[in-house]
Amino acid sequence: MLEVRNQAAIVGIGAVPFGRRGEFAEQGLVRLAIEAITAACDDAGIRPKDVDGYSSYYSSVEPAELMTAFGAERLRYASQTWGGGGASMCGAFQNAAMAVATDQADFVVVHKVATMEANKRYGQAFGQIGQGVPAVGGPFAFSVPYGLQSPGQMFALAVRRHMHLYGTTSEQMAHVAINAREMARSNPNARFREPITVDDHQASAMVADPLRLFDFCMESDYGCAVVIASAQRARDLRHAPAYIAAASAGAPFRFGNALMSFYNQPDLDFASSGHRVVAEELFRLSGLAITDMDAAMVYDHFTGMVLMALEDFGFCAKGEGGPYAAAGNLGLDGPLPVNTHGGNLAEAYTHGMTHVNEAVRQIRGTAINQIDGATNVLVVGGAGPAPTSGMILTGAR
Amino acid sequence: MSDHMPGLPGPAPDPTTEGYWLAAGRGELVVQVCRACGTHRHPPTEACYVCNSLDWTWDPHDGRGTVYTYTWTDRPVVPALAHLGVYNVSVVELEGTTGVVRILSRVTGVDRDELVVGLPVEVHFDPAGDDVALPVFRPRVSD
Repeated sequence: MLEVRNQAAIVGIGAVPFGRRGEFAEQGLVRLAIEAITAACDDAGIRPKDVDGYSSYYSSVEPAELMTAFGAERLRYASQTWGGGGASMCGAFQNAAMAVATDQADFVVVHKVATMEANKRYGQAFGQIGQGVPAVGGPFAFSVPYGLQSPGQMFALAVRRHMHLYGTTSEQMAHVAINAREMARSNPNARFREPITVDDHQASAMVADPLRLFDFCMESDYGCAVVIASAQRARDLRHAPAYIAAASAGAPFRFGNALMSFYNQPDLDFASSGHRVVAEELFRLSGLAITDMDAAMVYDHFTGMVLMALEDFGFCAKGEGGPYAAAGNLGLDGPLPVNTHGGNLAEAYTHGMTHVNEAVRQIRGTAINQIDGATNVLVVGGAGPAPTSGMILTGAR
Repeated sequence: MSDHMPGLPGPAPDPTTEGYWLAAGRGELVVQVCRACGTHRHPPTEACYVCNSLDWTWDPHDGRGTVYTYTWTDRPVVPALAHLGVYNVSVVELEGTTGVVRILSRVTGVDRDELVVGLPVEVHFDPAGDDVALPVFRPRVSD
């Protein structure tokens, strides 16, 4: 069996400074992508025209545009994984790793950029679908007419079920947000750097009950890019490689279009972040266990979904995510520090790209909240419809 | 357009789903059922997830179920829907089906403290365009 484990590595990371919602609208997506990719190539020590592969998720800036913009001699690989938002993000790294490990490209870029004009807010994601039309068809016919129109409402349904099954509380969810702010305190790039308390969280406005304002991440404009190369090539580049020990995108039985228009998952997966199969795959493919991880970067669009991801990956038993977080286990002194950059909740919302960048910095030893000797770092993609995704990066090959 | 939630669109039936929406328009709840193995499924789709048969029909259902989960929408999703005020979106698990059938819907006539997971509910209908209606639910008055 051909193994991709540790045959590919992240060799460059880049980002443009994060913006507030809509701030980069005039700049446009292509410009953001070019700047971010250029930054990632500078970091790797290669030229943007050396990039001969693009692996994307939920992207609208096409390789056709980018290869031309950079004047690449040739394009050898171009793919986009299925899924919406940041749920399948690590699938793009899975594809990139396979491409470079099998010599089908020299340097593959994963990039993601966004800018939000006022009428295209994530928070209103499918709120727009039903505006000004008498009827909607397809799967949304079963959700939008009832007023289910935003990610907050979607994930509130899973959180409420989790509260019912396991006794999870809003106060426990607060600790995910508290941890994000704590981590962001020393991060000059973070949007929200002021500490908050459980009381602050409880005083924040109810938006999609049981989710309060402080359970939501912000909306950001951003441009991020990552360069992936074969392990062989990686050795000759500027930084210590962050090897891709495993990357996976998948979903459990009947997960389907979970929460957006499908609600028939078994209880175990309904009240989950949808990562049960991805977690099994990552540990199987990497030969590593959760106890081997030194840090975890968990997509934190909503606090409650982080608790469920902790359970899916075995940080704690199913249903114990709330008490686990409330006991202070997410911090730098905990058994597995989570989102050492401040995550989506405090730094910026980038559909998961900053979680990857932070995992790479931890492995390089250059993170702001550096964990001594960080070697293996788990990256968890967003909770959402199938496929969800994850990745394990390692400094030890 | 929903009669009771103005500003929200109605459902647009397609060949697979029109039986469901037209039945609701007549005041009946139907659930898609596999003719080969008898498994119920929702939302309507072409293949049975148990036996993969493409042969299906509609089964009448008495509309009784329990609340599986719910959320209250305290802030309008888009400014144009601010007039809706606070409303709930609820998932109802139907009773007596072969295989799990959960319907995303709304529970009407409940205050915030009355809507709980496990609440017994029954179907009624919210007209939502020509010939179609949205199945919605209300607390069951009797067993």
